[in-house]
Amino acid sequence: MITAERKPLAEIIDSIDAYKRILLVGCNECVTVCAAGGRKEVATLASALQMDFMKRGKHIDIREMTLERQCDPEYVEQLAPYIDQVDAVISMACGCGVQEVVRRFKAKRVYPAVNTKFMGASERPGVWAERCHGCGNCLLGLTGGICPIARCSKSLMNGPCGGSSKGKCEVSSEIDCVWQLIWDRLKELGIQDRYEDVIMAKDWSTERGGGPRKIVREDLAQ
Amino acid sequence: MIDHNTDPQQRVLVIGGGVAGIKAAMDLSEARKNVLLVDKAAAIGGLMTQLDRTFPTNNCDLCTISPRLSAGARQQHIELMPMTQVTALEGEAGNFTVTLTSAPRYIDLEKCTACGECHKKYPECVRFTPGLDHRAPTCMRYPQATPQAFSIDMAACKDVEGLVKVCPAGAIIPNDTEQQHTRFVSAVILAAGAELFAPGKLDHFGHGRYPNVVTGLEYERIMSASGPTLGELVRPSDQKQPKRVAWIQCAGSRGINREDVSYCSSVCCMYALKEAIVTKERFKDDIETTIFYMDMRTFGKDYEAYYQRAKDRYGIRLVRCRPHSIIPAAQTQDLQISYAKDEESGLITEEFDMVVLSTGFRPAEATKQLAKTLGIELNVHHFTKSGSFEPVGTTKPGIYVCGVLESPKDIPETMVQASAAACMAAKHLAKGEAAVEIEDEYPPERDVYGEAPRIGVFVCDCGQNIGGALDVDAVVAEAKKYPHVMLAEMSGHGCGKDALERIQQAIKEHNLNRVVVGACSPRTHEGLFQETIRRAGLNKYLVEIANIRDQSAWVHSGSRELATAKAKQLVRMAVAGVAKSGPLKDHQLPMNTDVLVLGGGVAGLNSALELADKGFKVVLAERTGRLGGLAAIVRRNLEGDDVQAYVRQLVAKVQSHSLIEVVTNAIVVDHSGMPGKFTTGFQIGPRMYYRQIEHGATVLATGSLANRPKQYLLDRHKAVLTQLDLDGVLEDQPAQVKEWQTVVMIQCVGSRTPENPNCSRICCQTAIKNALRLLDLNPEMRLFVLYRDMRTYGFSEDAYIEARRRGVIFVRYAPETPPQVAEAGNQVTVSFTDPILRRPVEVTADRLALSTGLIADEETTEDLAAIFHLQRTEDGHFLEEHVKLKPVDMSVPGFFMAGSAHSPRNIRESITQAQAVAGRVQSLLAQKTINLGAVVARVEGEKCATCLACVRACPYNVPFINENRQSEIDPAKCHGCGVCAAECPAKAIQLCHFEDEPILAKLEGLLERIA
Amino acid sequence: MENFEPVIVAFCCHYCAYTAADMAGSMRLSYPANVKIVRVPCSGKVDTIHMMKALEKGADGVMVAGCLEGDCHFKSGNTKAARRVVFVKKLLEEIGIEAERLAMFTMSAGMGTRFAQVAGEFTEQIRKLGPNPVRAGLKARKAAEKVA
Repeated sequence: MITAERKPLAEIIDSIDAYKRILLVGCNECVTVCAAGGRKEVATLASALQMDFMKRGKHIDIREMTLERQCDPEYVEQLAPYIDQVDAVISMACGCGVQEVVRRFKAKRVYPAVNTKFMGASERPGVWAERCHGCGNCLLGLTGGICPIARCSKSLMNGPCGGSSKGKCEVSSEIDCVWQLIWDRLKELGIQDRYEDVIMAKDWSTERGGGPRKIVREDLAQ
Repeated sequence: MIDHNTDPQQRVLVIGGGVAGIKAAMDLSEARKNVLLVDKAAAIGGLMTQLDRTFPTNNCDLCTISPRLSAGARQQHIELMPMTQVTALEGEAGNFTVTLTSAPRYIDLEKCTACGECHKKYPECVRFTPGLDHRAPTCMRYPQATPQAFSIDMAACKDVEGLVKVCPAGAIIPNDTEQQHTRFVSAVILAAGAELFAPGKLDHFGHGRYPNVVTGLEYERIMSASGPTLGELVRPSDQKQPKRVAWIQCAGSRGINREDVSYCSSVCCMYALKEAIVTKERFKDDIETTIFYMDMRTFGKDYEAYYQRAKDRYGIRLVRCRPHSIIPAAQTQDLQISYAKDEESGLITEEFDMVVLSTGFRPAEATKQLAKTLGIELNVHHFTKSGSFEPVGTTKPGIYVCGVLESPKDIPETMVQASAAACMAAKHLAKGEAAVEIEDEYPPERDVYGEAPRIGVFVCDCGQNIGGALDVDAVVAEAKKYPHVMLAEMSGHGCGKDALERIQQAIKEHNLNRVVVGACSPRTHEGLFQETIRRAGLNKYLVEIANIRDQSAWVHSGSRELATAKAKQLVRMAVAGVAKSGPLKDHQLPMNTDVLVLGGGVAGLNSALELADKGFKVVLAERTGRLGGLAAIVRRNLEGDDVQAYVRQLVAKVQSHSLIEVVTNAIVVDHSGMPGKFTTGFQIGPRMYYRQIEHGATVLATGSLANRPKQYLLDRHKAVLTQLDLDGVLEDQPAQVKEWQTVVMIQCVGSRTPENPNCSRICCQTAIKNALRLLDLNPEMRLFVLYRDMRTYGFSEDAYIEARRRGVIFVRYAPETPPQVAEAGNQVTVSFTDPILRRPVEVTADRLALSTGLIADEETTEDLAAIFHLQRTEDGHFLEEHVKLKPVDMSVPGFFMAGSAHSPRNIRESITQAQAVAGRVQSLLAQKTINLGAVVARVEGEKCATCLACVRACPYNVPFINENRQSEIDPAKCHGCGVCAAECPAKAIQLCHFEDEPILAKLEGLLERIA
Repeated sequence: MENFEPVIVAFCCHYCAYTAADMAGSMRLSYPANVKIVRVPCSGKVDTIHMMKALEKGADGVMVAGCLEGDCHFKSGNTKAARRVVFVKKLLEEIGIEAERLAMFTMSAGMGTRFAQVAGEFTEQIRKLGPNPVRAGLKARKAAEKVA
């Protein structure tokens, strides 16, 4: 899942201060699940923005909408009937959603209300943690199913650096040293010897090295 | 005046309106049996209403019991007669004639609104409960009394005419007289309770002479928010907060002196710990708490953990000593206590600001008279006499007992007994008749869908209650201007018959589709108004109450203007809210009345038998190949009864019962459904064939295991055995026993340890039982019992005294220095430290008996908990729904439990639970359908993002993601808290009756004029 | 602002706080008429949005009142409510509205005295803070709504 976090209100307010009518658009996918941009967050942000405006003796007209998925054009199309009635759009979706709205409504100013963070998992209710870097060349099969690219501060692929201490990363004691986790897991599986295998230098061209990426499924592409 | 009510309707008489009586009455009423509840007090509630907080949950009692009391009064099957006593009883079980005498109350219960005008003007004429609450702010026994009415002492009244006039409701009857009533009853439940010992008779403690010596109950009153000091802890002599408080346990109990009783009151250790904890919670390091005790008897479920918390977390000091006396310090009114400690010689004298005497239960003098009236026998301690295997019976058929009148006990045990007594008493009601139900005829419900709101507003003046404090006319006039309001009028006593009829008439005349009542609290009156509009053809959820009495008139009486303005706003909010409310449907389910009982021990067998005797079809599934459970290997109980003979006849009865099907070697593998409609799958027999059983209720009586820890050479040396082994040897090989010279017993083996922190409850009495039997066979035998605390609660204390009298040597050991055991040929040597001599002692014993107690059958409870979604305690027992209010119900509706699956207990206590469960099951299955109410969460599936927020937030694990990829909430399981609705990030969940729309509309209604 | 009378919304759980408020009534304890109660089954039902909307619509203070810690009728609704209140307070700070306008209280059903005391103290606290700053824009908003 893509995770996101609401931007500081000051930043959002700054971006829309000049407008009188805005469309506040949430997304019912990832950002709902990570409590950043679903219907509830849309309503809460609308209320906060309204209060901020009123406090300054102003009024802003906010229309709230939440799309099933903001990164698909068919859903984005649902904004069409309302788009001309507003001066700007605030999107609470991830960066993908924001750009889909921009792609469809080229003439409209669109502002993000969340900072898209990472691909993560729900560690426990209310806590999301980074799990995948999207490197395009998965090596989880070699590392006991735990990703050193996403979860090592330095993305080291052949064991920890000297900063690993008592299973923690030197960047922060909150961060587990992923190589400790990998080692523990290999031991649990009884395949400690795999640790000795050298993982060859990674081909980063599948990540950002080769520029923006695209997936095309020939059989499905229209 | 004599009132002969000779109507042949069958009913049960419940004597006493404390928690035991209320619980029994409510259980019967839930099972649709008629009850006549009499209490000699002016309001029901008994002792519990005077407590500040009750263990082990330490919550406030008013919160838990008040709704039950008012519910009790509402139940249509319960006829309540306060200020009434039984004066004669004739006839026999199934056909008693009872004579009742009611004292004059001088108040018409139908008219009194508890407005308090009489008390304001003539406080001397209004009755108090004497003693404890003489300074309490309200003279009803507690703030939410049932009946909610005053009681007048006419003898104290000098101005009768004035008093009559002061009552705005005209409720005072100056010429009220004592009345006699005659009623036919089928059975009697005796729940008359007991008194607390008045320690004034013990001159060495100075209660009554030294102001700062109080009883446990007086301390409760001082701590209670509704007590004389409004919850402020101050000592009586100078109204200052004490810094050092001491408790003295067993004040008047476990003694041999004049005024003492020999038995243990069973509850005082826990209540002293509770009072000390609550005190510590409030004042932290600002107060010192010390408890002087003999044995700390925390034997109930999870009570040992409570005790450890008191010591470790709250720092309550515990001193094992029974102080001789209290000496007041000159002038200061401080109190000196001298005591001795095992570790030190000589007396230590310490000063305290306040001393609490932990006094126990005593049978009331009136009990002896009542027993005579009813023709039942009492035991040596003047509590009722009952059989080992008929725990709630008395010596007279058709009369049952529950609560403290039977023996000293705490609230959870009382509640269990009350349910058991209700179950047993119901036996005497004719079967066919009890099932007859007067179904109310409601008119068809009008469909208001799509109609614009047409609201009628009715504002009560409630005598002077509302009208005296605010301008009702102005509220009405204002309400007429609110949107959608078709009609607004004043309603007098809105809950009176005339006013209710007027509301119904107005609904029809003005074609109203919603109603607002400006009245008192919806907590007490919502049901009444819902019923009223339903009778006028409206859905009952289309009424909203604006609480302008309790939350405006009564609290802003200083300013008529402010109170009026606020009442307007409250009505405005209610109008806005109800306009956005829609009709809702109560959820109902058809009922399958078959019962599944899991476990074929004493608890399961008794539950099955009681239910089958009442006509319910029962499937009794046992995991092993035999019935009887643990009891089948126990030979004698403490009273000396032949347990095997009892179990044999019980098994025979069950096996031959036409309504019971016994399935052995049956293992539960799956389960689904809801109460009234469960399906449970089993694998049965050596071939493991699969079978599904459909049932409406489930009883868990899966028992526990006899513990057998590998300690003290157990199973490694033939001289070492458990108490259970010893029980068998005593019966089968008496000749061998006679040869033993010395026997040592060690208590708490495998209990009260870090691995198994709880007390096994039964071991102390078991050890004493076996010790006495050993001495019967061989009076010369030397017997040592090494113990930590002797927990012979209740009347089993007598056996402990007997054992000491006959020369059994009891030696205490500390958990840090347990006894050491070594082989010595055919014998073993047991070494321990004598705390009095402070010297090591070595005893060579022919036998060493270990009190190993019971432990949860973790494997079984874990599997079953997973399959049924049940909760367990940390030590693997099943967890009840509410330790006090619903001690045999489980948190999953339709599940009940009995026996040692709940917690360790003896056979008699297991039978009580089994009967209680049978009663609870009958209450559940008495309805043809289950009404689940309408306040449940509803998912708008298309909005759901399957984020799991509701699944994780629900305190009852109800929501799940269904095959359509949507959250689904089973209305049968939803408790209606609305947490899921508040947490849902997709706003896909609404709590019916508390949807966002009406809530926001109320805010809008309140705030629209701000600008 | 001499005659400033704050409007205070109190979301009260049915089982404890609302009962305590009734109890204050039956004990005839006086507390400011500024406090208006909205009954909810559990304090855990009080949504972030309810708290925000109350303030947005012009309430000067919002109380959320539930059962005592550990005594929630629905097990843990009150702790969830308390966490939500902290969340909304932070949000309020972000837009420069005093976080003290929102507060969580716990009490048992028997604590009529506590309800009255809390209601009194909270009202005083809000009185000191003065009117909700959003009131400045309410007129503008009302006007806009009329046009719409």
